[in-house]
Amino acid sequence: MHQVRLYCWHFMAYPHLPADFDDRYESGWVTVPNALWDRERSSTVYREYIDQLVYAEELGFDGLVLNEHHQNVYGLMPAPNLIAAALTQRTERAELVILGNILPLHLNPLRVAEEYAMLDNMSGGRLVAGFAVGGGPEAFNYDVPQPQARKQFWEAVDLIARSWTEDGPFRHEGRHYPLRYVNPWPRPLQRPHPPIWIPGALSLETMDEVAKRGYDFFLSSRRHDAATRMAVERFADRIEAHGGAFHPYRMGILLSVYVGESDERARAESRESIWYFLRNCVKGHLRSRGRNLTFGPGVPSASMASWEAYLGRADPATNNFGDVETWEELDHWSSVIVGSPTTVRERLWRMIESFRLGVILIQFHFGNLPDDLTRKSMRLFATEVAPGLRSDSGALFAEEFPTLGEMLERPEAAA
Amino acid sequence: MSTRVVDVRGRAVGVIEAGGGNALVYLHDIADVHAARSGLFPFHEALAREFRVVAPAHPGCADSDENDDIETIEDVVFHLLEALDVLGIDAFALVGAGVGGWLAAEFAVRHPVRVSRLVLLGATGLYVPDQPIGDVFMAAQSTDGGKYPDFRRMLFADEDGAEALALFPDGRGEIANEMLRYGTFRFLSRVGFRPPYLYNRTLRDRLYRYDRPALVVWGREDRLAPVAHADAYVDGLGDARIEMLEGAGHSTWIERPGEVASLVAGFLKA
Repeated sequence: MHQVRLYCWHFMAYPHLPADFDDRYESGWVTVPNALWDRERSSTVYREYIDQLVYAEELGFDGLVLNEHHQNVYGLMPAPNLIAAALTQRTERAELVILGNILPLHLNPLRVAEEYAMLDNMSGGRLVAGFAVGGGPEAFNYDVPQPQARKQFWEAVDLIARSWTEDGPFRHEGRHYPLRYVNPWPRPLQRPHPPIWIPGALSLETMDEVAKRGYDFFLSSRRHDAATRMAVERFADRIEAHGGAFHPYRMGILLSVYVGESDERARAESRESIWYFLRNCVKGHLRSRGRNLTFGPGVPSASMASWEAYLGRADPATNNFGDVETWEELDHWSSVIVGSPTTVRERLWRMIESFRLGVILIQFHFGNLPDDLTRKSMRLFATEVAPGLRSDSGALFAEEFPTLGEMLERPEAAA
Repeated sequence: MSTRVVDVRGRAVGVIEAGGGNALVYLHDIADVHAARSGLFPFHEALAREFRVVAPAHPGCADSDENDDIETIEDVVFHLLEALDVLGIDAFALVGAGVGGWLAAEFAVRHPVRVSRLVLLGATGLYVPDQPIGDVFMAAQSTDGGKYPDFRRMLFADEDGAEALALFPDGRGEIANEMLRYGTFRFLSRVGFRPPYLYNRTLRDRLYRYDRPALVVWGREDRLAPVAHADAYVDGLGDARIEMLEGAGHSTWIERPGEVASLVAGFLKA
């Protein structure tokens, strides 16, 4: 029976911001002064967060998800591979998903190929290799010119995949990364290579590049509605255009979840941390108040045609995810799901059913959520939400995708 | 005034021409022709009364095609060389504003005999210790729901001045103008987002190679290229003098069009 795969995603937010942060600083990214880092209280955050991920494996989550961010309070993992390395030694079974290394920020993609191959061996073949291009904040973080960043990114992806599958040494005559000797030791354990996931927004261009290569797509959207459904259809269409077949594990989405004993209690327990996350961690990225580091002429990653289309539909004055002020608005975004086990199960099920997606990446820790509440929410989810989602999705996928088992056994037939 | 698109080795280059007489090649900046609005501004029109003003758009700006092969200012100099060949302009006065001033200086030190006189208006291009060029990319990112006070403040003495607000209004402006700005920033990103940030560290020691008369015009309140950069240009060039405009910001040609046009025309005719 093929069921929905439930992952625990940890962003590792900075939890000790002052209460007046939002009034005093224009962004939680890039320019947020690191004098705010509290040495005494902060040295234990990595231990606490890694312990939570280890606990997620104990609770039966299918995988643990990490990602890369720099110079920000949203995610304290400039080097997610270090956290993954720790997890290889503390976990036994769960997939380790790094979503992903931001390739244009790395001097040489071979280093990523090498580190990922190490992690795949160290984990016994549990690595999911994610590659990301990075957005506006990352452009400012490491001075990455945006007009050529995508081409640079795909050259790096292709070089890494080739270095994992083709015997070395070989020569790479690339535009951005010309290399005379490509010959990484070690090689990854998984054959032909670890699964590759690529995050992206609604861009058809990115989906097409992902589908063309037979990789899996992660929709990095923070709003789930008809647009998510459209994204699934678009990606499925791109897969089919390249001769493949879509199935529920080809694409994933991100949700933030807090489960409490009742709706009221869930809201009461999570309220402070959710708005700490929205006001502070998201500020600079997906919030209209403060500085918008993600979209604009200063980080012109979109092609001229895409930007013109964007200008035609986007109003910069519109409230963004981080501007949400009420529970009702939050519900409308369908990205942060808070409630009793029954409520959370119903809402997640509606999405799984509507989107036909079998990869749900869940952020349980957000902002400054205390350890005990984070663990309680994860536990309630694992014991009272996950089983129902698994069995219901198993039935749904069996009906909707009768050849799923075959596609998974022979991925080349689907790719 | 005429606007046309010429073919430069398979790539379109948009060119605005106006006036007659001796050729004056104008290389634009951000608050400028091809970058903020189509068509010439009063400053260029004043110059066109005495010269044949030829203003090509940088690669990716306005009607000019983007060029993925452009990664450094050196590539842009070569592109300009090719464009001038197609336009058939051999010797000319060269006026460059801001980033266009940087390009003008790079061109002049390589081909001094083609440039009869050089005018730099608030030019970037130099490394001056402890006097960094302002981060116009960060300033171009809106604040508080699509507002651009930092951007206007980078480019003008008065962020709420009429010209500043007209060119770079808060909220979404005319799509055509927004697209000009975006194209300009795609160009700027290619040559100046990654350090060296809108400058070339070796340019300063090469400035001596241009030993014909040069005029350096600056606004005292320039927050993109601080006035120390004006001094550095004057020190480095063989025969340069400075005109410092008190109270003006970076975009002197927009803020004081009549005054700057007379300074430039007077210098070119002297």
